[in-house]
Amino acid sequence: MSSHNESILREPLVTGKNITYAKVTNDILVPVENKPNKAWWMGFTVAALGAMLWVFSVSYTFWTGIGAWGLNKTVGWAWDITDFVWWVGIGHAGTLISAVLLIFRQNWRNSINRSAEAMTIFAVICAATYVVAHMGRPWLAYWIFPLPNQFGSLWVNFNSPLVWDAFAISTYFTVSLVFWYTGLLPDIATVRDRATGLTKRIYSILSFGWTGNVKTWQRFEIVSLILAGISTPLVLSVHTIVSMDFATSVIPGWHTTIFPPYFVAGAIFSGFAMVQTLLLITRKVMNFEDYITMFHIESMNKIIMTTGSIVGVAYLTELFIAWYSGSEYEMYAFANRVAGPYWWAYWTMMTCNVISPQLFWFKRIRTSIPISWVLSIVVNIGMWFERFVIIVTSLHRDYLPSSWAMFYPTWTDVGVFVGSVGLFFTLFLLFLRVLPGIAMAEVKLLVHTASHQQKLKLIKEGHLDPEQVQFYKDSLDKYDSVSEEEIKELAK
Amino acid sequence: MDSNKKYWKGLEELEQTPAFVKNSKSEFAESLPIENVLTEAGLSTKTPRRDFLKALGFGLGAVSLAACQSTPVHKSIPYLIKPEEVTPGIANYYASSYNGQSILVKTREGRPILIEPNPKSIGINRGTDAGTQASVLDLYDMSKLKGPKAKGSDIDWETADAQIISALNAANSSGKQIRLVASSINSPSSLAVIAGFIAKYPTAKLVEVDAVSYAGIIKANQASFGKAAIPHYRFDKADVIVSVGADFLGTWLAGEEHTQQYADNRGYKSLENKKMSRHVQFETGLSMTGANADARVAVKPSEEGAVLISLYNAVTGASLAGGLSTNDKAQKVIGLAAKELVNARGRALVVTGSNDVAMQALTNAINAALGSYGSTIDLDNVSYQYKGNDTDFTAFLNDASAGQVDVAFFLNVNPVYDYFDTEKVKAALGKIKLKVSFADREDETAELVDLITPNHNYLESWGDSSVRDGYYTIVQPTINPVFNTRQAEQSLLIWSGNTVAYHDFVKDNWEKNILAGTAKTWKDVLQAGFEYKGDKPAQAYTFTGDVNAAATSIVNTNKALAKDVEVQLYQSVAIRDGKQGNNAYLHELPDPVSKVTWDNYVAIAPKFAESLGLGENSLVKVTGENGYTIELPVLLQPGQAQGTASIAVGYGRTKAGKAGNEVGKNAYPFAKLVNGTLQFSSTAKLEKVSGIYELAQTQTHHTIEGRNVIRETSFKDYLHDPAHGSGNHGEKHKTYDLWNKFESPGHKWVMAIDLNACTGCGACIVACNVENNVPVVGRDEVRRRREMHWLRIDRYYSFEHDGEQVTEEKELARLSKEDANLDNVSVVFQPMLCQHCDHAPCETVCPVLATVHSSEGLNHMAYNRCFGTRYCANNCPYKVRRFNWFNYWNDSRFDNYLNNEFTQLVLNPDVTSRSRGVMEKCSMCIQRIQAGKLKAKIEKRKLKDGDVNVACAAACSANAIIFGDLNDPNSEVSKALKNERVYYVLEEINVQPNIGYMTKVRNTFGA
Repeated sequence: MSSHNESILREPLVTGKNITYAKVTNDILVPVENKPNKAWWMGFTVAALGAMLWVFSVSYTFWTGIGAWGLNKTVGWAWDITDFVWWVGIGHAGTLISAVLLIFRQNWRNSINRSAEAMTIFAVICAATYVVAHMGRPWLAYWIFPLPNQFGSLWVNFNSPLVWDAFAISTYFTVSLVFWYTGLLPDIATVRDRATGLTKRIYSILSFGWTGNVKTWQRFEIVSLILAGISTPLVLSVHTIVSMDFATSVIPGWHTTIFPPYFVAGAIFSGFAMVQTLLLITRKVMNFEDYITMFHIESMNKIIMTTGSIVGVAYLTELFIAWYSGSEYEMYAFANRVAGPYWWAYWTMMTCNVISPQLFWFKRIRTSIPISWVLSIVVNIGMWFERFVIIVTSLHRDYLPSSWAMFYPTWTDVGVFVGSVGLFFTLFLLFLRVLPGIAMAEVKLLVHTASHQQKLKLIKEGHLDPEQVQFYKDSLDKYDSVSEEEIKELAK
Repeated sequence: MDSNKKYWKGLEELEQTPAFVKNSKSEFAESLPIENVLTEAGLSTKTPRRDFLKALGFGLGAVSLAACQSTPVHKSIPYLIKPEEVTPGIANYYASSYNGQSILVKTREGRPILIEPNPKSIGINRGTDAGTQASVLDLYDMSKLKGPKAKGSDIDWETADAQIISALNAANSSGKQIRLVASSINSPSSLAVIAGFIAKYPTAKLVEVDAVSYAGIIKANQASFGKAAIPHYRFDKADVIVSVGADFLGTWLAGEEHTQQYADNRGYKSLENKKMSRHVQFETGLSMTGANADARVAVKPSEEGAVLISLYNAVTGASLAGGLSTNDKAQKVIGLAAKELVNARGRALVVTGSNDVAMQALTNAINAALGSYGSTIDLDNVSYQYKGNDTDFTAFLNDASAGQVDVAFFLNVNPVYDYFDTEKVKAALGKIKLKVSFADREDETAELVDLITPNHNYLESWGDSSVRDGYYTIVQPTINPVFNTRQAEQSLLIWSGNTVAYHDFVKDNWEKNILAGTAKTWKDVLQAGFEYKGDKPAQAYTFTGDVNAAATSIVNTNKALAKDVEVQLYQSVAIRDGKQGNNAYLHELPDPVSKVTWDNYVAIAPKFAESLGLGENSLVKVTGENGYTIELPVLLQPGQAQGTASIAVGYGRTKAGKAGNEVGKNAYPFAKLVNGTLQFSSTAKLEKVSGIYELAQTQTHHTIEGRNVIRETSFKDYLHDPAHGSGNHGEKHKTYDLWNKFESPGHKWVMAIDLNACTGCGACIVACNVENNVPVVGRDEVRRRREMHWLRIDRYYSFEHDGEQVTEEKELARLSKEDANLDNVSVVFQPMLCQHCDHAPCETVCPVLATVHSSEGLNHMAYNRCFGTRYCANNCPYKVRRFNWFNYWNDSRFDNYLNNEFTQLVLNPDVTSRSRGVMEKCSMCIQRIQAGKLKAKIEKRKLKDGDVNVACAAACSANAIIFGDLNDPNSEVSKALKNERVYYVLEEINVQPNIGYMTKVRNTFGA
């Protein structure tokens, strides 16, 4: 074999024939530059109806009072905070994908980060609506911030986890938004360059005068890295602080030190599941199959499986510690979860979150699109129940049995939740229509070079010596996760 | 020197051009283009800038004026001339009385807002019951009549008077009867008025009848001792109390007075003296009294008489036939109780709840044998609380039906609703020529009368009462009559041709009769509120009745009862006989035992219900002996005698008013007249009907799950070790704290609650509601577990099985599956309110510092700052925080009472009424603390113990709640909290609560 080292062949992250930069742009901008198709309209109609339900339910709640919900003197939080934590959790995948994976140079993230970040922002918006809506007097919601005021020497209580929460969520939202928008700039500029008329003017403004010169790109890269650095701690902090809403209380079932890691793992778990749910549909409807490939689906399934297992361990640890603590209240709280009146919620949670992700140990399941999609939804159902179990089953039977009560949701509870899902999808579908759903600029980094393609051509046409072919084949085998068959296919 | 200088304004003037001369004569030098403007052409020209600005200015002004929403006008009338006795912001207290009990009425700016017990009152009671506390709301009842009415249309008083007087004269001259039907009247002045009325119209007669009759006791005492009266019972002198079906702490005779007497023998002071009475209760349903008993045996109504016969035999050694042959447990307890009673001769008391003459006679025989007369029963200072005579009323009905009665007056009675034979009453009413009701509303009876001459509320009235020999109280008005009503006594005076004002009549009567021989004046009485002449020495009495005849009668009555399902009718502690049926406070006051609000129900033992195929809340059709049927939901009541059902009377009003109509079902028709007295034990058929009716309970989990929240011991163990069962043993663990210790340098307000004194009656709850403007939320919201009570009384059952007390749900489920006998239920009551923790979990979690700690140890709640995250309520281990889910005082869905401006006058102006979305909870009556401190400051002295008392503690007759300053070593509460029995609920989670509880001590047999 020749002495010089040829770069190895790698499994392509973007599949499809004759991939060129132009093709990438053309493919990805199809939904932005054209009238929406039928599938989008159907989805949008359903989602918009949901959003209207949300508007109605929330308005009704504001009009009549929180009494419109099923809460009572014992259970002061139920669906509201369950939904809040659920949405915040879902909002976690975005930062993880965009920041942590960027720092770890996981290039495959480039195809999914845009949608994941958009999802994060919309999920956090949904979560934030609950922060306001669950308040007895929502018009005073701004009191949560330490604003200078003329009410006297009134200030917030920095001891309260709810204040930390307000900071955590607003910081997270701001950073995510900035990160997302920064990433969008080159893509918006691309849209601008291809558009005409009013569209061009709008995208011109939105693109912040992106010129595409080397200095711009360099600064873009640096800003992205800096923002990734800033966001990375947020991945841990946001849900840690959300978990402290519970962990710092005295209520058995809430008062637990395991909550921060357990919540973070759960958040990533549910976030990836939601990314999976969305992208499996998006890649099909928007014809992004070449960009969001089986490799992505499988990788995300692996993360879901890993975080699901972490969550499972946390559940078991909780049970063990409840027993080990010797505290009768603690023991009762967990016995009540497992076998109390809400046993079905606990076992739904266990099945969806702990058992179902274990199916991903099987490659056939991991790589099956329909099963992945169904399981991603199952995981999010499970995660909703996790928060419901933590909140409602801990509250409904705490210290004094005289106050034990059941929680029954009203139509408003259901309306606000279902509505928030509608709101989320409305925002997401609108996003897909006006902004590129995949980060074009970043995906273009993944498109293999001409030399790479030439190499493949040479192998296929048999112009290389067998030694060289063997080297490439070995390299594929060695450094990538391409299957045997694919290599065979290549060697033909 | 004259100047020839000439000033001119322009060349035109100088030159005096013709044009100038012409123009100078008109007002405007240049002609205005008015014509141009007003012509069509002018109007259609372009708007000049100034016009535009004018139009804009006008338009903007008009629009902003139109946009101004007319803000609701709240009329307030300033005191231009300040009434001498009214200072805005300062409460006035007037002594008055309610149901014969001396009270203080707190008025603010001329409106009564709170009832408090008269602290100076001696000889009768310390606190007030729930009904008394709630009675202030009756004054502001929107359902009351605004003036006299004739058959539904308004008339004036003169017309009504003329009509009545002519009818009276006609009846009198034709020799036809005139009847004044009233519930027991113990007012000396009222009786004097009535005597005058009868003197004027000799065919008139007073017929006294009570919805729940005690005629049996009166008749039995007549037969046994020749004295037709209800004696004064002295539970404080009794070391052994046996009650057969008498709910003497709640609804039987003077529950409030008995509570005080009873608690004095069982509370912490008595226990510190190593003294505690023993109380044995035989009863059908689990009453509040039964819940407090040391030994309680469930017996059927048909067995109650047999229990008495057996007890008589055991006490006297006689061998009357008809003793208890079933119910082994009851027989065993009768044996033990009899031994105790005999040992405690002279300190023993047996009471019976039944209105059966024979049973009361036998009770008298037992008490006579035990030497109770002269000690625990005082027949020389008799009670006048209930004087109703069932036979008189029957006679009245018969006379009326026979057309003998021409004129009938109804004072404070409602027989169409509460007499068992409604049809007979209606038929009798139909035959009376002129029927006049004094009802304050168009109630069930008033609906059928010819004239309603509405009486004042007692807070608008003059009057007096004497519930016992030698004890007189005054009733004085605290507000001008709100509506065009007239006091019944005044009406009677007018109809008797007496023109004296009733106030003068009362005053005269007092000065002549009651105050004669004392140095006191009328004014003294108005200030004191009562006159107590002291008790005559109580004598021992010898039983002269016929025991054998009584026993025979009992056996016959029992035989009649022993069929189908035996039904016990009882009065609920809150609603009683239904007279206060439109009182929202009382409807929302949970039953002490079942914790049900806003309904009555059929209480059935769980096992018996199972055999009937009934479950909790299933609907059941109850068919009485007379064929009367009602459908009611089932309540599974542990401790209820098997084969029996208990139903509360006083519900099912149809004409009570907005809050009280159609609440529950009327159970009065199940009562019956036996041997001349009304009986509240009967039989009925129960039949399951389809459907479920969810009862609104404030507590749905009934056992303590083995938690040490309740700590109890037995009297025997207590004597051995006063700290027994309290957890106060040995060295406490060293504890570590994240937080700094909370210093309270000035006062530190704390509470001590004696679980052994608390009877669970709930008077404190209503007192708290009234004092703190706690909203009533109604049945549906209670079902959703959203009642707003700042203070609640937790009630826990424990079940005896194999000598162990079982409290765990799982264990109970297993036992009931095994069909174990779980009839032996013990009850404990625990008042639960904000514990004002020094390390309050609620305070740390509030994001906006709406709930903070005061330097006096109080946990404050700043309503204005609260924006309602509810985190504090979630984090409260005691679950005492209450959230305003809605705007209860201004929301048409909560039309129970406060949704109108009139009823809102009942609100305490010192306490903010909370808006929607705000958390609230017990403030330890901070407004009272502040007022007390202010008063002390003005008087330049230190605050002393007793200057400030919280509403709940003030209402408590049992002295179960003690409030005060812990930093004052001599305060009652400091001393009480040094008691060995004191423990703190959930002290192990180190929230450092400020309310100490004292262990429950049970004086059980054998223990």
